[in-house]
Amino acid sequence: MKRSTGNRLIPAVIVRTLKEQPVIIALIAVFVLFSILFPDRFLSFLNFKTILRQFITLTLFAMGPSIVVVTGSLDLSYVGIWMLGGILVWLCMPVFGLLSIFVILLLGVTTGFVIGVIQTKAKIPSFILTLSLLVTYWGLTALLSGGYPRPVRGYGFITTRLIPYIPTTLLWSIPIIAAAIFIMKCTKIGTYLYAIGSNEEGAQLAGINVDKYKILAFTLSGLFTGIGSMILFQHLGGSTPVELNLNTVVWPLVAIVLGGTPLMGGSGGPQRTILGAFTFCVFYRGVYISPLHPYSVQLLVGLLLIVSIIVSARGLKSVTIT
Amino acid sequence: MDDSLLAVKGVSKTFGGVVRALDDISLAARRNEIVGVVGENGAGKSTLMKILVGVYPPDKGELYHKGEKVPFPRDPKEAAKRGISIVYQEKGVIPWLKVYQFLFLGHEDKYVKFSKLQTDKMKKQAADILEELHVKCDAEVFMHELPLSTQKMVEIARAILSVRLESGEDGTTPIIILDEPTGPLNDEERRELFNDLLEMKKNASFFFISHIIPEVREFTDRVHVLRDGKLVANYDFSEEKIAEEDLFRAIVGRESSEYISKVEIKGLASKTVALTAKDLTKKGHYYDITFDLHEEECVGIFGPAGSGKSQIIRTIAGIMSFEKGELVVNGQKLKASELPYVRLKKGIGYFSGETGKELFLNWPILKNISFVNIQKILCKFMPVINFNAERKMAQRIVQLLRIRTPSVNTDCYSLSGGNKQKVSVGKWVERKPDILLLDDPTIGIDVGAREDIYEVLSEMKKSGICMILVSDDPKEYSILCDRIMFVMDGRIQKVLSPDEFRKVVGI
Repeated sequence: MKRSTGNRLIPAVIVRTLKEQPVIIALIAVFVLFSILFPDRFLSFLNFKTILRQFITLTLFAMGPSIVVVTGSLDLSYVGIWMLGGILVWLCMPVFGLLSIFVILLLGVTTGFVIGVIQTKAKIPSFILTLSLLVTYWGLTALLSGGYPRPVRGYGFITTRLIPYIPTTLLWSIPIIAAAIFIMKCTKIGTYLYAIGSNEEGAQLAGINVDKYKILAFTLSGLFTGIGSMILFQHLGGSTPVELNLNTVVWPLVAIVLGGTPLMGGSGGPQRTILGAFTFCVFYRGVYISPLHPYSVQLLVGLLLIVSIIVSARGLKSVTIT
Repeated sequence: MDDSLLAVKGVSKTFGGVVRALDDISLAARRNEIVGVVGENGAGKSTLMKILVGVYPPDKGELYHKGEKVPFPRDPKEAAKRGISIVYQEKGVIPWLKVYQFLFLGHEDKYVKFSKLQTDKMKKQAADILEELHVKCDAEVFMHELPLSTQKMVEIARAILSVRLESGEDGTTPIIILDEPTGPLNDEERRELFNDLLEMKKNASFFFISHIIPEVREFTDRVHVLRDGKLVANYDFSEEKIAEEDLFRAIVGRESSEYISKVEIKGLASKTVALTAKDLTKKGHYYDITFDLHEEECVGIFGPAGSGKSQIIRTIAGIMSFEKGELVVNGQKLKASELPYVRLKKGIGYFSGETGKELFLNWPILKNISFVNIQKILCKFMPVINFNAERKMAQRIVQLLRIRTPSVNTDCYSLSGGNKQKVSVGKWVERKPDILLLDDPTIGIDVGAREDIYEVLSEMKKSGICMILVSDDPKEYSILCDRIMFVMDGRIQKVLSPDEFRKVVGI
């Protein structure tokens, strides 16, 4: 079955990697394109810094949901957890002091667990369920905050620079990302989650408690979103908005799908999401500094999402869990 | 054949140039009669009917309508113009439509005035036709509110209606094909449906597809028996009385009369009982199933399609629930409805040969084998998968089952059918459940792969694992089983030893 490699100039490993992760080609293409078009502004230190900042935000938001997407469901509650969590920190501050930040973590885990239980017991589409929950949390945020963003002081230490030029948030997020990948790749839980996404009936027949692991997937998603939000809380200014911004909801989704995790589940996962998030940030910054009208950015992001959904659903069907 | 309403002559159909689904079939329906078409699964019944309604074109053959030669229809709409319409076995009903909406589904165009649906006219016509056909229901209730037998009647009414609408009012006598209409019904509902059908016979002719012998004998006027794509027998019930046994023999092509009731397998009594089923009943599927399964034993559940054999094995696997009776495994009583994972914890593994059902096609072989055995390959002190152990386990299975693959990392979708099946079996070989349920384990794979799977299953049996087998292939029973229970109409009829079984089925 092995085809003889016609081109010896390119090692087989690289060819295989590119085949399995075509997003790398997209990344290189986008990077080269914008470097040629706007050499001054795109290839600047400031731009790279912005890309990195955006990348961290996006990755941390997308990490949890990408675990859920692997099982073939969808979790949109991340922005809700972050928003409501921020307000809860502000509310708890007078009582618990600096420990209040852990309220976000608690909220994330609880939210994930509840979503999981409702989704598996009531058997409703997770998309609608988590979307409704997102709106509910948004309403709750606005209500609790009285309609104004509530800044909280005292968490500056989270983002204190430890190594020059490297955002501390990046250092924080490395172990989190590693943990997510580890769970999905090296443990029983991860294997079962991929099994459910790949062939739910088969998983059931093979004796997997499908409901339990689906609940676990949502809980893990909530956990990672919770941890991510704790870090991002300071990173994004020490206060959360009370108005829902659609971008923050859609972008992580784009990162997941662009990375090559099909929405039907069964393959992909957190490790792909990192690449997707990075590609998206490069693409976004490139478009942003181009002379295109700011609104056209939204247009392009929408189109990008559609294209990547089609590609990940069709072209990568056969791609394994790499 | 002059009085025939619809006749086919010499119809043949091959699929993919290899599988001969129909071979020179000729049959006919007269006015106002119910014609039974019986045969096992895969005998060609459905293919023939699909040719009649224009789903498939035939390779050869002629179609006569009222004695005139006509071309075969090319789609269901054209078939309806000739008076032919079909009521499918399942999924025909749309629960959230009202009866009149359902009746006119697809024909709304004829009831549009100024781009508005004339619902009053539709309701009135629906009520008229329901009355005419003696269907006792209101046209304005939802389909799902009706009992199952009435739903079926509404479906039949809809088929007749679509013939009328397509061919012009009262233009032709409708010929309705009923594809196993009694499948989901219980005895009482069946009787009701048939009484209504006999009433409807005045307005239409029916092709009645079924494999339930008693109802065919009782309610049809004539019956054609198909086996392996050939017409093997025709019976006319108005001329002769046919015994059930004769009909059965014609359908399966083997004897069913000489069964020996009790079978003693030597040394069996000394073995511990692993599973006991007592009076297991699920209405409409199986009744009073009682048997013991001993260690190192393989029990086969044999019977024609629709006999309830697969429902029994699925109940034990936890895919279906039972209503009455007891199921005891290793001294533990099982709940009536438990999911497969609970049953697996108690030692019951289920393997289905249905293609792709058990396999994760986008996974490499090693993942497919390791994931039910994950406890075995975790590292000692952490719940982390030891990838080295995983690979070794997969390599062992690949060697044992002679799976032909370049490596254990190859994705399953690129394997051949037989090798896919081996991978599916392989995970249970490694897992070693106390009881392994085999649901058609070698369906659709070649002889070589079968041999390899049988060999491994026999090895497993010797090591103390007991099995229950359900299959469409009689040979499989004689190779693997120590006892064979013969099931028909949901009841155990006889228990046979392998030798007796071989005699009975003639292999």
